[in-house]
Amino acid sequence: MLMSPGFGQSSSAYQEKVTEAYLQAIRTIDDRVTPFLGKATTRVLIQGAARRVSETYPFLHFLEKMPYTEVVPSVVREQLGGVIPQQLAAGLDALLQECFAGLKELTGDLIVPPLHEEVRRQLEQMP
Amino acid sequence: MQPESKATASAYRSLIGQNGDRLTALRQQMQFLNTMGKRFVAAIDRFQVHHALLATLQELYRFSACTILLKGDPAELAFELSIIPSYPLSEPFLQAMIERIARAADAIDFPRVTAEELALMAYLDAPDELALPGTPAPTGVTAIGDFLNIPLTVENRIIGMLSLFDEQEGAFDADLLQLTTMIADYAAVALENVRLRERQMALWSSAEFERQRLSLILGSMAEGLLITNEKGAITSLNGSAQHLLAHTQIQLEETFTPLRQLAASNNVPWLADLATIVDQALAGDIVMNRELIAGAEGEVVPLTLSISAAPLYESSQTQTRLLGVVAVLNDITSHKQIEKLKDEFVSIVSHELRTPLTAIKGYTQHLMRRIERRLRGASQALPANAIADLPESYDLRSLNIVQSQTDHLERLVNDLLDLSRVQWGELHLQYSSFYLADVLAECVRQAQISAEEHTIYLDIASQDSKIVADKLRVGQIVGNILDNAIKFSPQGKQVTVKLQEQGNEYQVSVNDEGIGVSPEFFDHIFERFYRVRNATSRQYSGIGMGLYVAKAIVEAHGGRIWLSSHQGTGSTFYFTLPRVPRTSTLPAP
Repeated sequence: MLMSPGFGQSSSAYQEKVTEAYLQAIRTIDDRVTPFLGKATTRVLIQGAARRVSETYPFLHFLEKMPYTEVVPSVVREQLGGVIPQQLAAGLDALLQECFAGLKELTGDLIVPPLHEEVRRQLEQMP
Repeated sequence: MQPESKATASAYRSLIGQNGDRLTALRQQMQFLNTMGKRFVAAIDRFQVHHALLATLQELYRFSACTILLKGDPAELAFELSIIPSYPLSEPFLQAMIERIARAADAIDFPRVTAEELALMAYLDAPDELALPGTPAPTGVTAIGDFLNIPLTVENRIIGMLSLFDEQEGAFDADLLQLTTMIADYAAVALENVRLRERQMALWSSAEFERQRLSLILGSMAEGLLITNEKGAITSLNGSAQHLLAHTQIQLEETFTPLRQLAASNNVPWLADLATIVDQALAGDIVMNRELIAGAEGEVVPLTLSISAAPLYESSQTQTRLLGVVAVLNDITSHKQIEKLKDEFVSIVSHELRTPLTAIKGYTQHLMRRIERRLRGASQALPANAIADLPESYDLRSLNIVQSQTDHLERLVNDLLDLSRVQWGELHLQYSSFYLADVLAECVRQAQISAEEHTIYLDIASQDSKIVADKLRVGQIVGNILDNAIKFSPQGKQVTVKLQEQGNEYQVSVNDEGIGVSPEFFDHIFERFYRVRNATSRQYSGIGMGLYVAKAIVEAHGGRIWLSSHQGTGSTFYFTLPRVPRTSTLPAP
């Protein structure tokens, strides 16, 4: 999970950075899973995960209907503008974990462990 | 080829060997895909898809069971779960499978369904021929060792989920996952095809059922039904229509010859009338209850049909493309027979009534003249006011009323006699030249005698009133309308008869301050024996003949008749007569 905003970093810039980091992680999942299960499955996996986490993190509700590929900075500003950065990071992390949980329900340990590791490394490397 | 060195030859052999292996592998893959494709393409129901799926998957894996979860009608949140075991499974294993399926379905955002609900929907499809040979039924295995849930997608739409389960861990391979997804895609398309075929069959059955039902209804209809194409050629006749038109001895159905053409090439007179009705409907009009005499000439009451026809459009809502005409044929010959009998009866009774009526009228006039002579004699001996008090004066007034009522009765009898003349086209007019204003004045004078409580005004708003028409019949028109106006006006009210010039015709209007007529009765008020039936009109006597006869006479002169009315405030009846008869209305020389 990404840390809170550092010194000299504005809240909105941090918000965009966090969102971009997690979207990049989701993109990685998409890239790895699509060859195995197809694009439609990846899309519903993310939407299903959004549905499950949006009870705790209602600001992610918009992802239930909107493909994550359409989440651009203007959408982030519009949908997540008033969300506290820590809350946003927690919500996006929960979304990612739900994606993995959903994928695990489908393919068990065939894809998830190496992918989980790859995504973890990727998030760690984010500035 | 001559290798120059051992190394080169070895490298070449190695390359050939690698390519050969790749070629063999590729051939095997193609063979596998070809066999799989054939299996799924040949599957025409969901059980055959299950068989194809199980047979194909068994070439990749050894597994305990494969299941297919299909999304049903989204409105009903229904699922179909087929469980295809490779061998008999224990109940706890089955239960564990269903729980996993429910969780996986939730992960890919299916409508929420619990394991208990899925268990109720589950269907066990266990094809014996695909049971793993020599595999003993695992007894006591309750836990799932490994599983795989692959969504079934068709054109990026998830229609269900394929699941594989085995009691052993590591039964499924990541290297085969892509191929398994490909098999699932084939199965998804095959299942979607089955679903579409089932839907098509259901629609076809339903359409066929409706077709048969409609055919039965049309076949058992007492009314004849005739359907034409857009060119007016008969494409379909039901049994009743065939029966009604059988005597023509003409092949009407499926000749693809338009009726207009058939009429031209045959000497069946009514066929041209039928063609006219169909042409009218083809032009977009709705023809209602058009009478057509289809029987042979000379018959007392020939076969008479009442025909209604309407255009048939491809879509009734948008009225886009005209498909043809649908016409309903009713045999009204029996009605005509009854009408004929009724008319004959009315005619006989009217004739019988006329004889005593003539006598009453004659003797009344004789008595009136005698009293008038006496009063004239008395007037020389007595003052005028004393004359008015004489019993003879009272008698004369009474006889005037008798005379007027006799005239009224005579008109009724004449109307009854005219009824059959109109009905059978025997209303002959005797044209002469006269002043319409004089006829109106005489009619008003006559009507006023028997309607002492009403005031009848005559308003001649025309410089000239010379006309060539049947004088007696014109008097009959005015008399009938005036009778009506007086009858339906309360005592003390006013009736106005007005004459106006309008181009080449005269317009006469009769306005009353009576009970009026509701617009829904306008179309029927000129029908014979028609009487407006409501609480207000019930107290008025009459047989509903006067306006019918008046209309027939007006139209025989080439004029028009209509009314405007508001219930409760009175009515105005209008009719027009041409100054000189139009050529078409003149009797043939």
